[in-house]
Amino acid sequence: MLAMKRLYTVLFMIITCLSQTTGQDNRIVFSPHWLPQAQFAGFYVALDQGFYAEKGLDVEIIHPSATVNALTFLEQGKADIISLFLVTGLEAARNGLDIVNIAQFSQHSAIMFVSKKESGIESIEDFQGKKLGIWMSGFQEVPEALMAERNIQPQWVPIMSTVNMFLLGGIDIMTVMWYNEYNQIFLSGINHDELNSFFLSDYGYNIPEDGMYTLRQNLEERPEELRAFAEATVQGWAYATANREYAVELVVDLMRKANIPSNKAHQRWMLGKVLEMQQPRDKEVYPTQLHPDDFRHTISIIERVRNTRFPLGYDQFFKPVIPFTEYQPQP
Amino acid sequence: MIKTNRLSFRIIIRVLIITTSLFVVILLGYNYYTSKIIREATKENAIELAGNLAGRIEQILQPMEKIPEMVASTMELGLIHPDSLDIILQNILLRNPTIYGAAIAFEPDYFPEKGRYHMLYAYRENDKVHSVILGGDNYNYFYMDWYQIPAIMQKTYWTEPYFDEGGGNTLMATYSVPFFCTRDGEKRFAGIATVDLELHWLTDMVNAIRIFDTGYAFMLSRNGMAVTHPDRTMIMNKSIFSNAEEWGAPIMREIGRELIRGESQFRQYTLPGRPKLWAYYRNLESNQWSIMVVFPDREMYASLRAMNTMLIFFILVGLILLSLILSGVINRLSKPLVQVADSARSIAAGNFNVKLPQITTRDEMQELRDAFAHMQRELSTYLINLKEATAAKEKIESELRIARDIQMAMIPHTFPPFPDLPQIDLFAMLKSAKEVGGDLYDFFIMDKDKFCFAVGDVSGKGVPASLFMAMTRTLLRTIADREKSPALIMESLNRSLAFNNESNMFVTFFMGIIDLRTGILHFSNAGHNPPVLLSASGEIKAFDISKSIPLGLFEDFVYTESSLQLKPGDQIFAYTDGVTEAENKSDELFEEERMFSILEQQRQSSPRDMIRLMSIAIEDHVGDHPQSDDITMLTVAYNG
Repeated sequence: MLAMKRLYTVLFMIITCLSQTTGQDNRIVFSPHWLPQAQFAGFYVALDQGFYAEKGLDVEIIHPSATVNALTFLEQGKADIISLFLVTGLEAARNGLDIVNIAQFSQHSAIMFVSKKESGIESIEDFQGKKLGIWMSGFQEVPEALMAERNIQPQWVPIMSTVNMFLLGGIDIMTVMWYNEYNQIFLSGINHDELNSFFLSDYGYNIPEDGMYTLRQNLEERPEELRAFAEATVQGWAYATANREYAVELVVDLMRKANIPSNKAHQRWMLGKVLEMQQPRDKEVYPTQLHPDDFRHTISIIERVRNTRFPLGYDQFFKPVIPFTEYQPQP
Repeated sequence: MIKTNRLSFRIIIRVLIITTSLFVVILLGYNYYTSKIIREATKENAIELAGNLAGRIEQILQPMEKIPEMVASTMELGLIHPDSLDIILQNILLRNPTIYGAAIAFEPDYFPEKGRYHMLYAYRENDKVHSVILGGDNYNYFYMDWYQIPAIMQKTYWTEPYFDEGGGNTLMATYSVPFFCTRDGEKRFAGIATVDLELHWLTDMVNAIRIFDTGYAFMLSRNGMAVTHPDRTMIMNKSIFSNAEEWGAPIMREIGRELIRGESQFRQYTLPGRPKLWAYYRNLESNQWSIMVVFPDREMYASLRAMNTMLIFFILVGLILLSLILSGVINRLSKPLVQVADSARSIAAGNFNVKLPQITTRDEMQELRDAFAHMQRELSTYLINLKEATAAKEKIESELRIARDIQMAMIPHTFPPFPDLPQIDLFAMLKSAKEVGGDLYDFFIMDKDKFCFAVGDVSGKGVPASLFMAMTRTLLRTIADREKSPALIMESLNRSLAFNNESNMFVTFFMGIIDLRTGILHFSNAGHNPPVLLSASGEIKAFDISKSIPLGLFEDFVYTESSLQLKPGDQIFAYTDGVTEAENKSDELFEEERMFSILEQQRQSSPRDMIRLMSIAIEDHVGDHPQSDDITMLTVAYNG
């Protein structure tokens, strides 16, 4: 258990000694909101391929733990840019942190509930009174909003990191990400057809997820570096899209170095689904744009769940560092 | 070079085909049953290996499980003072070298004075036992699997294996036992007691298992995750299910699911692009981890294949030896055959006195030899008889040749016969079907200015016919000295021939007498084909006369005669039925039509040419077919 403690407390530093180390001003520390995995492939690829260095940036990627999150890094100044779920970012802003979204990568929700078919839970109405596992690390608002809207009261069971409780039957329903835990359950021997899946997007909660955040002060002080970082990251995602096997191997390698269980089968699945989430589909949105409707929809959920007013307007919260004029118009 | 038509070769080939088929059948059967035995034995071995391994692991796990269970029950009895827990945990580690760590963790705010978190943990570091108090916002143990799962499920729990960071990258698993307390008369969940098991030794123990050359064993967790594996990078990274995806091998997933269900199996399976494999797998009772033993199919049967190779080698050598021996035996046995065959060839060549090989084997060879000896004697006798018969036949033939010469000498064959008689040109031909024949023709001058000619055909063929012909010819000349009219000559001739004609032979006969001064032709016919008159005017037709009956049948028959005036240039063509009835291979006759058409073409020709060309036409028609009847033709040309 000490080991576990260490696992969760030690920060995994992946330090790249860039040859063209420039001044202190060009240094950017980035923290994704979870441990290394294909969810953040674009950042690792940008670093590995030298896209950040090409922009004159000295980038370091640090990782949070299950108990120390990326927001804390940002607050404490240990990270200049972090990635967060939209809900988490909005919640932080609501709680008074002067945080801004500078690029929105995910355009869709990957949150879903799964139950074992053998449990007889066929619809979300069946969740009433059932044990429902939910991740502790800050995106419970959307599932909570859905349950509240439908007037369903499950027994919420906070889960830290594994799907073992669900596999063993300790909980009846599990909140999972389509790109991650859903496949972990599959890779633990449960077949897709043995599960009932409930995508939150099918219930009117298609809330975008991963976006890039910084403190408003950082944005005001270093707009050019942040823009360069965002642009190189977009480049990284594009490269990962075109070279998936390379991206998967890079991620697996990073995970190995961080002693995180890893295999290509899972990371390949994750990369595929994360890239799918970045597609606009039927939404009229620029890449890296947070759509105003999504913003309004999400704060309405937060306001309902928290029973409070969201203090910021769209233009105050979303401060894109990449001008949309640089993108081709969306069809 | 092998002579493929030799008897020995053919026998050996047949024997080889039969024996080889037999060996193949035996080998296949042997292979089938031996494979089965090997498979069974290997299965037993794999089951025993996995069973032993499971036993050894259980021997470590089960005593370990007792420790937190005892701690938990002691806690429930409330016998331990909370402040002495660290000493107890340290003692547990000191007395149990297999245990890496032990903990007691309490529910939130269990001891109000200790705060929300209270957890005591003893662990090993650098061969020393330490203890710490854990818990806090940075170590929120309530939501860790080892705590949360047994807490919610209220039963003991072996965690999935995990890496111990900083402790030498050691793999660990934790066994958790929930304990309860009674407060306010209510039994409530109070906390968890655990032991940590370092799994490093497990990998060494499982990797030590070797089956055949490259067979190995590994362990999987309850989720199918590799706990031990000869390829250590698999451990904790890959599960049987992730490998199923990476290798595109649904069979792995199937096996993984069987393992999770706790099934035990010995089975064959194939991964894409890899050789066939065999696997045995079973569960550990304690924590539902599983042990899997895997080995390649080709190694399992390697000994059998080696044996098969040797067997096939010996069988091949055996077959070659068998062929050689058989060849020797058959050649020795069949040697007399060759000798007999040589003798037969000598006999065929005419050497009847050739000595046959001596065979005393009293078997089929001797029978053959005796049969040959008998044949040799019979042939010899037969040939002697044949020689005598041939000699007799040759004698008869020689006599017949003489008879023919005599017969031919009886009819005139000098042409032109009367060079000093310009009125007459004549040619005749007689071609017998056998040595001697029954046809005849004759011509001669009577009383200076009368020219007589005749054509006849005796019934039958051969010697009797030739004698009758000779008689007829001789009588004709004799009678013609006395009688001058054709009818009278014919009647006289008929009377002489019919007299004492016991054998009832007869002759068809035509004769004509031309008065050379007037050109008047008197003629009479006795059953003969009417001759053809080729008029100088170009008309061609058969003589218009009654056929009457042949000579020699009725003694007193009265023959009539007719006459006609020949004109210079007229020709008379007389013939026997050998001309019109000449047969070819298809039994088609030469026929009168054809004869007339040739006469039509040749009416301007001389008698010699006419007959020569008619003869050629007949030969063309008959071809190779043997001549069936005597052929006689005679042409008289009257020049005035």
